[in-house]
Amino acid sequence: MSSWLDYTINGLIIGNIYALLAVGLALIFGVSHLINFAHGSVYAVGAYIGWACFNYLHLPLPLTALVVVIVCAALGMVIERLGLRPLAGAPRIAPLLATIGISLVLDQLLQIIFTPDPRALPSPLPAWRIHVGGGTIGALDILIAATGIGSAAVLFGFLRFTKLGWAVRATAQDRDAARQMGVDTDAVNRTVFAIASALGGLSGLLVGMYFNHIDPAMSFQATLKGVVAQVIGGMGNVPGAIAGSLLLGLTESYGVALFGSSYRNLFSFALLLLILVLRPNGLFASRRATPPEPMTGTFIAPSKVLRVPPWLVVASVVVAALLPLVPNIPYALQVLTNAWLAAMLAISLTLVAGTLGQVSLGHAALLLIGAYASALLALDAGWPVWASIPAAGVLTALIGTALVAPAFRLRSHYVSIATLGIGEIVGLVILNWESLTRGPMGVTNIPTLAIGTLELDSPQASYWACLAILVVLALMQARVLRSHLGRTFRAIRDDDVAARAYGISLDRYKGIAFAVGGFSAGIAGGVSAHLYSYINNETFTSTVSISALTMVILGGMGNLLGAILGAVALTALPELFRGTAEYRMLIYGLALLLLIRFRPQGVLGTV
Amino acid sequence: MPYLSRRTLLATAGLTPLVGRAHAQTDAVTVGVSGPLTGQYAQYGADWRRGFDLAVAEASGGINGRPLAYDFQDTQSDPRQAVAVAQRFVGDSRIAMELGDFSSAASMAASPIYQRGKLVQFGFTNSHPDFTKGGDYMWSNAPNQADDMPILADYAIGRLGFRKLAVVYINGDWGRTSKDIFLKAAAERDASVVANEGYLPNEQDFRSTLVRVRDTGPDAILLIAYYPDGAQVVRQARDMGLTQPVVATGSVYSPKFLELGGAAVDGVYTNANFFPDDPRPVVQRFVTGYRAMFGTDPGSYNARAYDAMTVAISVMRQFGTDRQAIHDGLAKIHDVPSVLFGTVTFDPATRRVSHPSSIDLVVKDGKFAVWKKAA
Repeated sequence: MSSWLDYTINGLIIGNIYALLAVGLALIFGVSHLINFAHGSVYAVGAYIGWACFNYLHLPLPLTALVVVIVCAALGMVIERLGLRPLAGAPRIAPLLATIGISLVLDQLLQIIFTPDPRALPSPLPAWRIHVGGGTIGALDILIAATGIGSAAVLFGFLRFTKLGWAVRATAQDRDAARQMGVDTDAVNRTVFAIASALGGLSGLLVGMYFNHIDPAMSFQATLKGVVAQVIGGMGNVPGAIAGSLLLGLTESYGVALFGSSYRNLFSFALLLLILVLRPNGLFASRRATPPEPMTGTFIAPSKVLRVPPWLVVASVVVAALLPLVPNIPYALQVLTNAWLAAMLAISLTLVAGTLGQVSLGHAALLLIGAYASALLALDAGWPVWASIPAAGVLTALIGTALVAPAFRLRSHYVSIATLGIGEIVGLVILNWESLTRGPMGVTNIPTLAIGTLELDSPQASYWACLAILVVLALMQARVLRSHLGRTFRAIRDDDVAARAYGISLDRYKGIAFAVGGFSAGIAGGVSAHLYSYINNETFTSTVSISALTMVILGGMGNLLGAILGAVALTALPELFRGTAEYRMLIYGLALLLLIRFRPQGVLGTV
Repeated sequence: MPYLSRRTLLATAGLTPLVGRAHAQTDAVTVGVSGPLTGQYAQYGADWRRGFDLAVAEASGGINGRPLAYDFQDTQSDPRQAVAVAQRFVGDSRIAMELGDFSSAASMAASPIYQRGKLVQFGFTNSHPDFTKGGDYMWSNAPNQADDMPILADYAIGRLGFRKLAVVYINGDWGRTSKDIFLKAAAERDASVVANEGYLPNEQDFRSTLVRVRDTGPDAILLIAYYPDGAQVVRQARDMGLTQPVVATGSVYSPKFLELGGAAVDGVYTNANFFPDDPRPVVQRFVTGYRAMFGTDPGSYNARAYDAMTVAISVMRQFGTDRQAIHDGLAKIHDVPSVLFGTVTFDPATRRVSHPSSIDLVVKDGKFAVWKKAA
């Protein structure tokens, strides 16, 4: 079976590439407990700097690599200084949002400067190739492996044998204690970001050469695979990140070998979940790591809540309800309809992420489940729309809770990554389960929203329908929050050890919260399906999950009104910036960064 | 400057678009475009824009004395933004007709709004078989797979003589439909398809997929891909020592395919709808104009956008700029010169065009060249 040798080699080659990304992510996570979503963007910047050096300055590869390393290290320091250090005292979730904002800004800048056209980045290395098994290995593969292993070795030495390295490790273990001992933790952070970003940029250059292809959209996939790889190896564990990457590459390659390419990512995310559930500290955590402090309490710091007087809420709802009577504003109504739908997702997420403290990065999957459930019930089972949408809500609650249940034992960042993986798996299952979902062709001819024979297809009618559903869901959630359930959720968030000591069954209450959240999200998905009349696996992508999280953080974690406000703001802002064409998303990213900088606890405050 | 960014920018200052704009009376006839200018498909939006710019520049006389402009609204090909843009265009009386969107998820989510608003949605890359079934305001001149794939099968099996094919396709609605039609076409031509491998649209690493392909021992690889991923598949196949010839769909026809694929794509066969040396006057006009304006050769997405705008111009010149007149006119218009089809005449029942022109090409010394049997 010589093919298995080839699959193994291919797995190692691509794992090699993931390793370059994972090492930088692991380093930053190890020190600042932050999933750096901007890492992929630095990687893209590195690739483009390399391209510019080759094409305009005609530099040889070593000099180009040097330029990339220097510029990206400087960029890393700038990110740390402008984006993250000002948030040192802010809730732990704020820097995460800041990295998302920075990533948006960097990607857009690249696209504006270099145009969105993909570019070739030919490797200047000699073209010889060694035959191994049925395939070949080239000079670039060896250079990538050497860079990955070499940088990990240098990092290991740096962390173990230098004074600054000790400071980095001390900061990683306990920032406050390190500071009391006289460690300049700001300098440590700066150093870590510089090193990690230099590595990120260098990997962008090498991977760009490997694929002979760079484009401004390359960053998100890179971050995703890097995060998965470093979780497999153990978050924050630098040598583990390399081993995890190789394992990920092998899993994908064998997965393709056994089932075909369309299942490829299914295997990576299944591996991720398996590792998270069985060995949450990573495959290579040699001993049981000290149990993390109940991080959730510090993860989401309570803040002074901006009280919104009830009359203002009622008045806003009344104004919103009367808005369709203004003639000739179908576009504004459509934007607000989108906002109400986004708000249904946001209140669902603010419940599980804010109130319960389980930050989900895969919430868009609930929309997909709801959309497919309602569409298929209406089309294949012949249900009327008024029945299929609530049924989709219930189904989403059940399926969503069942999917996330294995992750109930996880805490803080691990929950986020597990949900990220679950979200991707749902999308891939929908793509591949053709007999049920019609696969890549999607579901067409979904009936429009209707009550009985009354079709709600005008902009006004769908606006009212969505607003009414949102109000009902929000009232329902407000009721839950006021009951013992709300108090219990917050108790679990603030200190799950203490909550358990009081006899609270964590799993049961987490299940309830996810079910309530799943219901709202499922309804939102169902309504969308009937509004769009066509859905496929790309209708709700992982970017929807990220934007839902930004809405929730922006409004204030756990804050019901805040989530709705965040949804309206983040849906309307990109529409308001429309006149600026390509600059639209750039301005949006900058606005996001400013908001998080000056109001890290959210506009209405964390509850 | 045909593109309206500056004026729209001024108009958008403040909240005007959200509270209903008092229509600034300009006399320009405006075509709305909904498509990706940012996000993961932005490169295709950039391709479109070059095609539009050329078509608009060539229509120097405007539409019956009024200047022509287009309003390109970015949707990132995200259904949520596409429906908002659809509602915006429907409510904006300046917009005579609409072109786009790019992905099926975005285009077909917006269709009900265009249909209800009685504004023509002209999808020129929308090959999803159900796109024009969204209603009688959905029209498309996208070359469709039912035409393209038998032609490609004739090329690969008939003229090139490959009997044992491995199909590698992008697993989206376009790739999937193409694959199904190709398999049928191959069966009719007595060729065997020994492998069919679908890959995920955001995939970059194809080595293991190619091992599967290699193990089935095909005598050629049939590639159903866009140009960036197509180039990647061929490069990695050659790196792995696969020497089988590759026959690719016309969607790889782009200078970027050559740039991204490098030496590896030499010898790739494809069947495109046009070619710069094509003597047809419409092609010559397009290619010369494009080279003069942008300094490179056009690719298939530029041509599609150019053709779409050309159809829009012709229909408005003949039937006026009233929305209903455009809808009715599309059914009557005939023999519009077209880069992709030779001439465009819509079938009023399917609201599509059939019989694209086709030329067998092969990549030779880093350039697309016409393939001849003797060679």
